[in-house]
Amino acid sequence: MENLLANPTSYSQAAPLAGAAGTPVLRLTNIEKVYQTSTIETVALNQVNLVINRGEFVSIMGPSGCGKSTLLSLMGLLDEPTRGTIEVDGRPVQSYSDRELAGLRNLKIGFVFQSYHLINDLSVVDNVELPLLYRPGMSGKDRRQRALAVLDKVGLGARTGHFPSQLSGGQRQRVAIARALAGAPEIILADEPTGNLDSVMGEEIMDLLLGLNRQDGVTIVMVTHDEQQALKTERVIRFFDGSQVG
Amino acid sequence: MLRHLFTLIWNRKRANLLLISEIFFSFVVLFVVGVVLITTAENYLTPHGFNYNEVWRLQVRAGQGLKMPRAELDEVLRHVKALPGVRTVALTSGNVPFVFSTNNSEFSYQGKKSPVTNVYDADDHYLEAMQLHLREGRWFGPAEDGSNHRPVVISQDLRQSLFGNGPAVGKVFTYLNPGKDPKPEHQFLVMGVVDNVRMSSDFNAAEPSVWNRLIPFDTTHWETANVLVRVAPGEGGALQEKIARTVAGVTRQWTTEVRVVNDDRLNRRRYTLVPVVGLSIVGLFLIINVALGLFGVLWYNISQRRAEIGLRRAMGATGAGIGWQFLGEMMVVTTFGVSLGSLLAAQFPLLNAFDLPAHPYLLAIGGAAGAVYLITALCAWQPSQLAAGIQPAVALREE
Ligand SMILES: Nc1ncnc2c1ncn2[C@@H]1O[C@H](COP(=O)(O)OP(=O)(O)OP(=O)(O)O)[C@@H](O)[C@H]1O
Ligand SMILES: [Mg+2]
Repeated sequence: MENLLANPTSYSQAAPLAGAAGTPVLRLTNIEKVYQTSTIETVALNQVNLVINRGEFVSIMGPSGCGKSTLLSLMGLLDEPTRGTIEVDGRPVQSYSDRELAGLRNLKIGFVFQSYHLINDLSVVDNVELPLLYRPGMSGKDRRQRALAVLDKVGLGARTGHFPSQLSGGQRQRVAIARALAGAPEIILADEPTGNLDSVMGEEIMDLLLGLNRQDGVTIVMVTHDEQQALKTERVIRFFDGSQVG
Repeated sequence: MLRHLFTLIWNRKRANLLLISEIFFSFVVLFVVGVVLITTAENYLTPHGFNYNEVWRLQVRAGQGLKMPRAELDEVLRHVKALPGVRTVALTSGNVPFVFSTNNSEFSYQGKKSPVTNVYDADDHYLEAMQLHLREGRWFGPAEDGSNHRPVVISQDLRQSLFGNGPAVGKVFTYLNPGKDPKPEHQFLVMGVVDNVRMSSDFNAAEPSVWNRLIPFDTTHWETANVLVRVAPGEGGALQEKIARTVAGVTRQWTTEVRVVNDDRLNRRRYTLVPVVGLSIVGLFLIINVALGLFGVLWYNISQRRAEIGLRRAMGATGAGIGWQFLGEMMVVTTFGVSLGSLLAAQFPLLNAFDLPAHPYLLAIGGAAGAVYLITALCAWQPSQLAAGIQPAVALREE
């Protein structure tokens, strides 16, 4: 796994050049998220203040239901906070239109989910091409080339024509990581990426993410329940009941 | 993106098979209804080739077991013709326009075979009574009294099939199977050619026709005589009664019935329209069923694909983009169904089925395709909007 990552490939991680390492890429200020249903009001996040710097590997920990996934979907611009501001590269996201937000997600952010979220009716390589499909002006040939390059990078160069159902859990998560990488994002948001995997496969995925962070300078925010994994990252943010506790 | 949709549909072909076959089926139904409607409409817009206004049909019956001598019949017709308001009187056979009575045969000329042709008896005044449009030659008349052959007038379509573009007037043709030594009255001498006629109904196509001359000195005794009476505009019931009385004045035993040809036309029109309307209603019903089914399937598909929708949004799709994707997928599925249907439908003009020209088929293929695309787009519209509105954060946390 490690030597695969060390292999030089035609794929290059271009995005981190966009800003100097250590500068803030995401800034959350006084964030509150309240879910309002007909019967109850759930405060999922309360007074969250957070800065993610370029090139960091941050892990987020906390008990179930404390708001980790909610935080990630706010960082991923998939949802809006009830109160507070989110800034991407210093610009508040409230000022973006829906179309611009979609463009930002496509260009800057890669997502990895606990349950992979692969499209079962698409082959591995078609799945990996998905974010590039929403990038205007990219030729089919370029898309294919980039998808194959990132699949090589995650060690799945020989499985490109397979369908997700023909892969193991670890392999599926590697496809999902390749998909997140295909768009060469600055930030990868990973919500319990090893949650469905046994410890060996979890280890593999963790090494893959660490490699991406160290060699390619990708900023990573990862939700995890695994203390060992969290210790490998640069910074651990702990949550309890919607609030930051450390 | 279009290629992506094709890949997606292709990989889901098992799941999409039902949709595709429903669309194929709808296309075929619409195509059939389309061909019928187009053909019917085109027929309706084609001239009848004669004037059915101010023509009456007078039927004279000799009575049970009785026959009428021709001389006496001629006497009756002379009296009717003399009535004020009557323009022309023409003796003909029972297959007058717009009634359910046909008499047909096949003919040949120098090895060329005619299609099935309506055969009418007509006297020398028939042209005037019906106001047929003469194209070539003339109607037969007393000059043909000494003719060795049966003088006839034929319609343009019969002319085309027997004589092509060569001369027709003066030529003699026979029945398809004339036998060894055909009698002179079974040899037909073409005196003239008239425009095509549509005598069965407003919605039927023209049929090849031939009018055989009724010889005035014919000695046959008739049981029933059919007479076409052209009257002055505005004539009505009063004249009809007068005609009946005139016939009764010559002989008491005969019975008469006077009918307006235009009434026969309107009556026949209803009969012809019933199956067309029936077919259209059944077609419409099927299409509505298919549309409802389609709607349900799409709705279900979207509820099954919420996670995928959330994922695509996360990857950079806009809500509207998701809506277009689902609409686009439906259009791709429709394209599969329509292509299969067109392949089948194209066999009709290619094999020249039912002796129709190609253009109603082609029009119907175009029309059915357009209608199917419209229906599927309408059915997919609302579910696509639903898909466009799905909140990505919510969709992604499900599972
Ligand atoms: N769409 C929603 N509507 C209502 N309540 C919600 C919604 N999404 C999340 N919540 C609530 O917000 C709180 C935080 O949920 P969240 O999924 O962020 O927790 P989590 O820390 O990711 O938990 P886990 O570790 O189990 O994944 C929970 O109490 C949850 O029930
Ligand atoms: Mg969670």
